[in-house]
Amino acid sequence: MNGAPLSFRETVAWGTLGVVLFVGLWTLLTASGIVPRQFLPTPLDVIQRMLHLMTSPFAGATLPQHLASSFQRYAVGVLLAALVGVPLGLLMGWFRLLDDIVTPIFDGLRFIAPIAWVPFAALWFGTGIGGPVMIIFAGAFPPCLINAYRGARFVEPRLIEAARMLGTGNTRTILEILLPAATPSIVSGLRVSAGLGWQSLVGAELIVAAAGVGFMMVQAQANVATPTVMAGMIAIGIVGMIIDVLLRQGEGWLRRRRGLEA
Amino acid sequence: MGSIRFDHVDKVFGPNTGGIKALEDINLKIGEKEFVAIVGPSGCGKTTCLRMVAGFDAPSAGVVSVSGKPVTAPGPDRAVVFQQFALFPWKTVRENIELGLRNKNLPAGERADLVANALKLMNLESHAAAFPHQLSGGMQQRVAIARAYVLDPEVLLMDEPFGALDAQTRVVMQEELVRLARVNPRTVLFITHAVEEAVYLADRVAIMTRRPGRIKEVLDIRAIRQAENWDKHPRIEDVMDLESFVHLRTQIWKSLREEKGANVI
Amino acid sequence: MLGRRTWIGLATVLAIVVTWFLLTTITGMVSGGRFPSPAEFWASFRQITGRGYAGGDLLQHALHSLKLVVMGFAVAIATGVPLGLWMGWSRKVEAAINPVFLVIRPIPPLAWIPLAILWLGLGDAAKIMVIWFSAFVPSVINSFTGVRTIDRPILEAARMLGTPRLRMVTEVIAPAAAPMIFTGLRLSLQASWTTLVAAELVGALVGVGFVLNMAQQDLYPGMILVGMVTVGVLGWGTTKLLAMAEQRALAWNVAARD
Repeated sequence: MNGAPLSFRETVAWGTLGVVLFVGLWTLLTASGIVPRQFLPTPLDVIQRMLHLMTSPFAGATLPQHLASSFQRYAVGVLLAALVGVPLGLLMGWFRLLDDIVTPIFDGLRFIAPIAWVPFAALWFGTGIGGPVMIIFAGAFPPCLINAYRGARFVEPRLIEAARMLGTGNTRTILEILLPAATPSIVSGLRVSAGLGWQSLVGAELIVAAAGVGFMMVQAQANVATPTVMAGMIAIGIVGMIIDVLLRQGEGWLRRRRGLEA
Repeated sequence: MGSIRFDHVDKVFGPNTGGIKALEDINLKIGEKEFVAIVGPSGCGKTTCLRMVAGFDAPSAGVVSVSGKPVTAPGPDRAVVFQQFALFPWKTVRENIELGLRNKNLPAGERADLVANALKLMNLESHAAAFPHQLSGGMQQRVAIARAYVLDPEVLLMDEPFGALDAQTRVVMQEELVRLARVNPRTVLFITHAVEEAVYLADRVAIMTRRPGRIKEVLDIRAIRQAENWDKHPRIEDVMDLESFVHLRTQIWKSLREEKGANVI
Repeated sequence: MLGRRTWIGLATVLAIVVTWFLLTTITGMVSGGRFPSPAEFWASFRQITGRGYAGGDLLQHALHSLKLVVMGFAVAIATGVPLGLWMGWSRKVEAAINPVFLVIRPIPPLAWIPLAILWLGLGDAAKIMVIWFSAFVPSVINSFTGVRTIDRPILEAARMLGTPRLRMVTEVIAPAAAPMIFTGLRLSLQASWTTLVAAELVGALVGVGFVLNMAQQDLYPGMILVGMVTVGVLGWGTTKLLAMAEQRALAWNVAARD
């Protein structure tokens, strides 16, 4: 590395420089007319549109309403992925036979981008809530499964042996040894899942939904309402960030409680 | 050939945030082709002394100079052998040794000769094309020593070079270093916490105190070494059995132990 | 000799095929309108490899998608890796770029698709742009982390040997960060495929995603399955190629040898 860590002041100074350059260049390009405003609105245009969308509807709903319907699907999809993925992963970590059966299926499906499930999702569950939920599920499922599996498979063998020595049965071992031991791994998996699920949601809504932020953006794109498209991007970014921050907090709390980190 | 000089050197870490005084008023002169070992308890700042000569750290006060010139930055005139070997894992043994010579912009023919010599010197000829991970720890440290020697540096800085090796390999490498010092004498600053190693290898041994590190005393071993004819013994264990060796070792141990006792109270 | 795992794996695959056959063809529990039977799948495959579907045969669609992924991925590597290395090397650059990154990073790459279409239309350029954006972030982050986690003695050894600046980057920093860079590239490649398929589903004139899109609109399950299998095969093939490149490039790396 080049030199020592920067002081707080220097960090702020260089950071401000970066942001000023970025926003400045954006404003310069748009306000001067080098780039037509229709293509790239000024930062101010986007903020104004965002505020406007808070109260007045576009594509059938206001921005908060779109966000609410997006979030609803998202929550259902991620929850389903966790409810199916985590137990399956744990069981795979415990029962070798299940591992040997599921792993080849999983490996076969792994290389299919989750978004490629869109046509079947639409065909099977429609474009209302079911289709998008399935896409979110497809995106969020793998990390849930993999992390629960790894957490259970690589649990400290002494713990299992200790449980055995105490005469603990299969079910109790899974619930009281494997699950708690794998929890940190499961939680990091859930965090990754949440991120991928949010990403899949956007994809799903761009393609098959009839409401939601993604749908709003596609409609805006068709109407060449660039500020609305960008307002949607920012809203998606903010919500995604909030989800991530909350889950990080939860993960940190859990790790501290377990004494894994100071 | 180079000499090393510490002149009233202080080192404070984190001077902006309260600061920990690591070194206090270090004064030490190492003459040309002299082998000086610094021993001291862990955390006493002996490695920091070496890092200042290397140019990785700068003194907070005082001057560190090599051959009369104050040290400002790292450079190939002060070759370092690291405890963790610090070989480039993506380069073969030959490429590791050659890098410093390429940095000096030597012509290819000359480089090849020098590398060949260094490989021969360290008995590495059959491993020239191997990657570091294919070698044992002892072999890796041979490569690191060859990489340093090939630069023909003014001074050689060795930071607990055998600290990461197992006991047997360590003995072999110590004997090897004595052999090397005889064939090709250098100015060496050698850091270690192993007292035997220091007594066996060095012309003079500097003993450091706990933090803040100061140089407590410097023992000259040359006279005893010559009088007792240590160098006639080919094996380290024979030297270590000599009464004169045992006596020196005990003297240093006591000096270090007093230091610990004084700090416990 | 095949191991226990392989036997169970083969048995599983066989069981799936038999079940598929049973459900769709023999008992008819799953109707052809929901999921294709093996015969329908085969017929769709024959159709798209022979006569063609959605304006081209399978090879044309697949190659077109592959071309876009490779191009977007290449642009992302060419920009992301140097930027990540630079940020890792200079704390000032890191401090300047981090806040901008912090704002842009939470926006999922797929959310750029409408904007890309607005700017560049339904052609190749829009797809390359979104693939670039989605593959860019993992490349930057992992290259950055790669530099920051280089063992200090390695850097000090290089400085001690008097290594000049440019050589420091090409012969020390870049190779030392290479294992992490490759981790980033794997993630980037995955992101590239996801983004491409999504972008082609949203709007395209040719490509695997377009096949999926047409098949969805034609309510043609056989072709949907063909499209999905193609996506999987392409993703698998490119991942394998990348892994081979990694093994070649990192032959010195102990961790990468198995």
